[in-house]
Amino acid sequence: MKIFANKWMRTVAMITAAVSMLSSCNKDLPVAEPIVVNPSTGSTIFETIRANGNIYSYLDSAIARASTFNSPAGKLDVLLNDKKAVLTLFAPDNDAFQRSFQALGLPTGVSTLKGFRTGQLDSILRYHIIGGQKFASTGIPTTFPNNLYLQSTLILSPPSPTLPPGYRMPLFPGKQGTTNFINNIPLVQADIEAANGIMHRASFVVLPPSQVLWQRIASDPELTYLKAAVERADGNVPPGNPPGTLVSALSNPAANLTLLAPTDAAFQALLTGQITLALIPIVTQQLIPVITQQLIAGGATQAEADAAAPGLAAAQAPAIAQGQAAALASTPAVFTNPALAGVLTPQTVAGIVVYHLLAMQTGTTFQGIRAFSVNIPSTETSSFTLLNSAIAAHPGVILKATYGFAGVIAITAKGLGNATPSSVQINPTPAPGGSSDQHYINGVLHKIDQVLIPQ
Amino acid sequence: MLILPPYSKLKLPYMRKKCRLIIALLVVNIFAVAGMAQNVTISGTIRNSITKDPIPSVSVVVKGSSSGTFTNENGVFKLTTAKTPVVLVLSSVGYENREITVSSTDAGEIDFVPASSLGQEVVVSASRVPERILESPVSIERISNVAIRNSAASNYYDIVSTLKGVDVVAASLSFKTPTTRGFSGSGNTRFNQIVDGMDNQAPGLNFSVGSIIGLTELDVESMELLPGASSALYGPGGMNGTLLINSKNPFKYQGLSFQVKTGIMHTDGRERDPSPYHNWSLRWAQKVSERFAFKIGAEIIQANDWVADDYRNYKRLGTTGSIVPGTRDTDPNYDGVNTYGDETTTNLKSVLNQIAAQVPFWQNYVSTLPADIPVSRSGYTENEVVNPNSLNVKLSGALHFKLSKKVEAIVAGHWGTGNTVYTGSQRYSLKDLKVGQYKVELRSDKWFIRGYTTQENAGQSHNLTITSQLFNEAWKPSTTWYPEYAFAYMNAKLAGRPDLEAHNIARKTADIGRPAPYSDQFHTIFDAVRKKPIPTGGLFLDKTDLWMVEGQYNLSSAIKFVDVIAGGNWKQYKLNSEGTLFADKVGQPIIINEVGAYMQVGKQIIKDLLKLTASGRYDKNENFKGKFTPRITALIKAAKDHNIRLSYQTAYRFPSTQQQWIDLDVGSGRLIGANKSLWDKYDLTNNNGYDPSTVPPQGNGLTKVPYIEAKPESVTTFELGYKSLINKKVLIDAYVYFGAYKDFLTRRDVIQFATGVTPSFANPYKGYSVVVNSPDKVKTYGWAGSIEWLLPANFTVSANASSDKIKNVPAGFRAFFNAPELRTVLAFGNTGFGPGKLLGFNVNWRWQDGFFYENDFNQGDLPAYNVVDASISLKQPKIKSIFKIGANNLLNEYYRTAIGNPSIGGLYYVSFAYNVL
Repeated sequence: MKIFANKWMRTVAMITAAVSMLSSCNKDLPVAEPIVVNPSTGSTIFETIRANGNIYSYLDSAIARASTFNSPAGKLDVLLNDKKAVLTLFAPDNDAFQRSFQALGLPTGVSTLKGFRTGQLDSILRYHIIGGQKFASTGIPTTFPNNLYLQSTLILSPPSPTLPPGYRMPLFPGKQGTTNFINNIPLVQADIEAANGIMHRASFVVLPPSQVLWQRIASDPELTYLKAAVERADGNVPPGNPPGTLVSALSNPAANLTLLAPTDAAFQALLTGQITLALIPIVTQQLIPVITQQLIAGGATQAEADAAAPGLAAAQAPAIAQGQAAALASTPAVFTNPALAGVLTPQTVAGIVVYHLLAMQTGTTFQGIRAFSVNIPSTETSSFTLLNSAIAAHPGVILKATYGFAGVIAITAKGLGNATPSSVQINPTPAPGGSSDQHYINGVLHKIDQVLIPQ
Repeated sequence: MLILPPYSKLKLPYMRKKCRLIIALLVVNIFAVAGMAQNVTISGTIRNSITKDPIPSVSVVVKGSSSGTFTNENGVFKLTTAKTPVVLVLSSVGYENREITVSSTDAGEIDFVPASSLGQEVVVSASRVPERILESPVSIERISNVAIRNSAASNYYDIVSTLKGVDVVAASLSFKTPTTRGFSGSGNTRFNQIVDGMDNQAPGLNFSVGSIIGLTELDVESMELLPGASSALYGPGGMNGTLLINSKNPFKYQGLSFQVKTGIMHTDGRERDPSPYHNWSLRWAQKVSERFAFKIGAEIIQANDWVADDYRNYKRLGTTGSIVPGTRDTDPNYDGVNTYGDETTTNLKSVLNQIAAQVPFWQNYVSTLPADIPVSRSGYTENEVVNPNSLNVKLSGALHFKLSKKVEAIVAGHWGTGNTVYTGSQRYSLKDLKVGQYKVELRSDKWFIRGYTTQENAGQSHNLTITSQLFNEAWKPSTTWYPEYAFAYMNAKLAGRPDLEAHNIARKTADIGRPAPYSDQFHTIFDAVRKKPIPTGGLFLDKTDLWMVEGQYNLSSAIKFVDVIAGGNWKQYKLNSEGTLFADKVGQPIIINEVGAYMQVGKQIIKDLLKLTASGRYDKNENFKGKFTPRITALIKAAKDHNIRLSYQTAYRFPSTQQQWIDLDVGSGRLIGANKSLWDKYDLTNNNGYDPSTVPPQGNGLTKVPYIEAKPESVTTFELGYKSLINKKVLIDAYVYFGAYKDFLTRRDVIQFATGVTPSFANPYKGYSVVVNSPDKVKTYGWAGSIEWLLPANFTVSANASSDKIKNVPAGFRAFFNAPELRTVLAFGNTGFGPGKLLGFNVNWRWQDGFFYENDFNQGDLPAYNVVDASISLKQPKIKSIFKIGANNLLNEYYRTAIGNPSIGGLYYVSFAYNVL
């Protein structure tokens, strides 16, 4: 029995083993194959900056200091050194930092960075980054209006009713001739490839705005008339800046506007002139009896006095009217002067204000644009304004920039009713002194020396 | 003497004939009654000449008469005859026939010699008349109940996979579909399965339910497989083959028998934790009298099912597609083969554009993103949405009445229920599926008439894709999920994350609160959705019925010079899905009627050399023109036990009920039937769809797909075969065949655009899968060969190999051929060795080559695989029982039989079967 068992069991075992060998040729069942994204090679943006200290040592130091800040979005150096990340960095070089410090009235040494809070530096530098995009200079349009804006990694503030979730402060690439810009800052060198994105070398630090346009208008001593005009346009601003008012639009962080802001002098000039013109006939009529009596008292006959008085009154009236008009327009309260309420109606004033907000047409609607000085064409070019939202066929304003060796040296804007173009007060230094390319969360402001007249 | 009324003179000639008939019948009846009244009873015991064990179920017939009986479980027979001496003819499968003269009422113990049965088995299905398998005029395979008993397969249905030329597709543990000569699939409509004469196809679901509600294992007497066209005898549908399963007659196989089979699956814990497999069956048959016998049977199979775990990425285009690289983490539009709910997809760019319209400062950033950002909803894997409990309960019963010595009446029913998973256009959870087949049959040795019905109830069966998609919508509508995804995606992108990571962050955000699989929340929502009928849920309410009456008469005794049989049938489908599967409406089922008739004439032209048989069949479906299918076979006996067979066969099929009337949204497109009213319903007759491959941007030319009335598909095959038995030890069988399909029925995708919309994938479109005839003849060809060798000491070794190929499939058509170029089986076994020859074993190795698998669900490369099945058994003759230890897929090497079907691992079992020897 044992022999039998051994014999047969051996046979069966051999057969089973042989068949098993055949069967073991089975391949594993196919499984899902991940789509492999080959890791990028080369240096990251962070490594590129670090390796080029002669160009970016300030930036390197700034990143190092900013990275000590515990940002909810993570450490900045980690982001810039993440090979999987996709980034576009507008990288200010050492000269850019020095120029920027100088403009701010700060010492130009790298130690100045220590004067910035770490969180402040983190915010400033995140405004130099576009996330999720490898944005090359070839993507920058040259046409006007240039409506290209891409959100940076700088998160402005937590969600709010007026700020959608994830709202990040946009950057505005532009191009004039062969020079690329970010906002109004020239790029020294574009398209520097890195493993995790692309770099563009910037000639200034791109400072992120921290206020909205209305805050500037409301606080600028040169724009008190504009403030009053906006409030008059809104019907003296109901409490809470309800949606639909100009104040709310100028306060809305999500808006995108270019405001050609007439200075107080511009408003005074316009208002004085307009009021003077309105007063001259009145003053003339008031002067005629007075001058007639003076002439009779001086020996003229009644007939002689009646004949001469209107001419004399007409001659004297403009000066008197101008004086009275200047007095009336001497304060922004002119917009709330009951005597002028019939002339400076909210609708009229609103029409004037929105005529100072540049726009572009999208389909049948008009939306605001953001135009830095470098975006203005060098030839006279018509631009829509938000007045077109009410009067679609309105021809808008005519813009023209004059470029010099160092950039824009003059900009004019001519309204339909203006005899001559107004001029932008070129001074791109930061507020409060600056008067052009004043960048705000919801737009850019250029001061002009004339009120633009739509008709 | 008959006294006729006066008026009868007018009809005298007719009456004479009638009277002769009546008289003849009376005489026959008198003799029959007289015969049954005889009281000479012979008894004896038949035993194995070697083991001396009694042999049950041996046929004992008085030579030259129709009087006969079978031995009982103790090998004892009792036979009443008119006189002694008589010559008894003894026959049984596996033994040499023997004639013995008995002179007294006690025949004593009769030795019966085990014999080689190679080539000697009798088959019926090849020609609808009994004949030796060696002399069959067409290819045929047979599996006896002895083979089933000795097989290593855990389920008798699996044994067919060891036959040459057979492909078996396993949609789940209990849902297996065999086929031959290509076109394998879970719902194969080109292969008939006939159980005790009843077409086993679920009339609405269009799949054969043999493995679910067919015979219980203990009740199977034999299985006969006819590869190739068989419509000429078995009607429409048998394009590629027919499997006939015959049950045991209770007059012959009596007594109580049961089988307990318990095993273990998932032993490696790869898919699930190790879990038991149970297969218990019971059969009780009793001959109550010489005129009445009955049988009842039950079988229950329970296990944790195999898992369909192909998580490869499937890129869909309408209702077709291809497997592509990608996982859930690396493809935002991932759509796993066996993950469901992720078929819902949308272009995220359109969502972002809508958001950007409300959030202007996003517009520029969004505009820089690609125009097409497809994103799919998160899906659930099949094991998360399907109850793993695979349950199959079969109940059957039959009453057999011998109305006379030759006429037997049978009332029988098979009913089955359970849970399983089926692969059709999608994966379907067949939950509480119930199918019953009930028949009444009258049969004699020359004729039969049979009426039966198939009653189908889909129970709580549901489409897993649709259910999962609607589950997602029920939890969080896509109108909410996608905007949440879009916001998070943008935020992640803007934070500098790479695109893929941004997608994954977005998905995680949008999926916050997503019901975890197996949680109460998941089940609550899922159950609510699956119980709602399509289109608001995943349930389909199929309660389609089939009614069939058929009959056949063998005229050979009346027509002496040729063998003639003739038959016919009437069939009615009543499609009732309440609009959830078909285009029917509540209370308005769709009725389809078919009639058919056939005749076969056979004659031995040259005795012992050449026999010719010609068959013809005509069928008419009310929706299609009638179809005639001829068959001619020739059997040439080249020498004793060397036969050459030639056949010209035709077969056809009407479009299946689904191919005629389906109207089902499968998530990625809509399947519609060939009926013109469905084309009209979706305006495809006026606003034609386009061939997707010609639609820009990936294609050009814009080819329209107009409506063309579908025709029945037909095939013509030529076969040359050779079968020989050498020295009664080696059986060789081989054949080559060639088949030409005309009006090949297939599906093609069309893309329809709204009127006025420029045809482009950039524009919205609707996808349809429509039934069409291939304009070209599709050709198939192949070969098969087998050798079986009886070795000394009862050892057997066998091998077979086969190949099937297709050609001339037009571009853009999917043939669903699904057959490997080469498959082979090697087997080695012994039915009795060792002391008392009580031990047995069986080892077989199956291999099939890989091939490109395609069906409505998906398509892709199916890898080659090997499987080893093995068993060792020990007989206990005293209690007629057998112990067995077996393994299916011994080495636990997982394989799949179709793309999207489960991975099948090892199943190891022990069994005890009582009263089966």
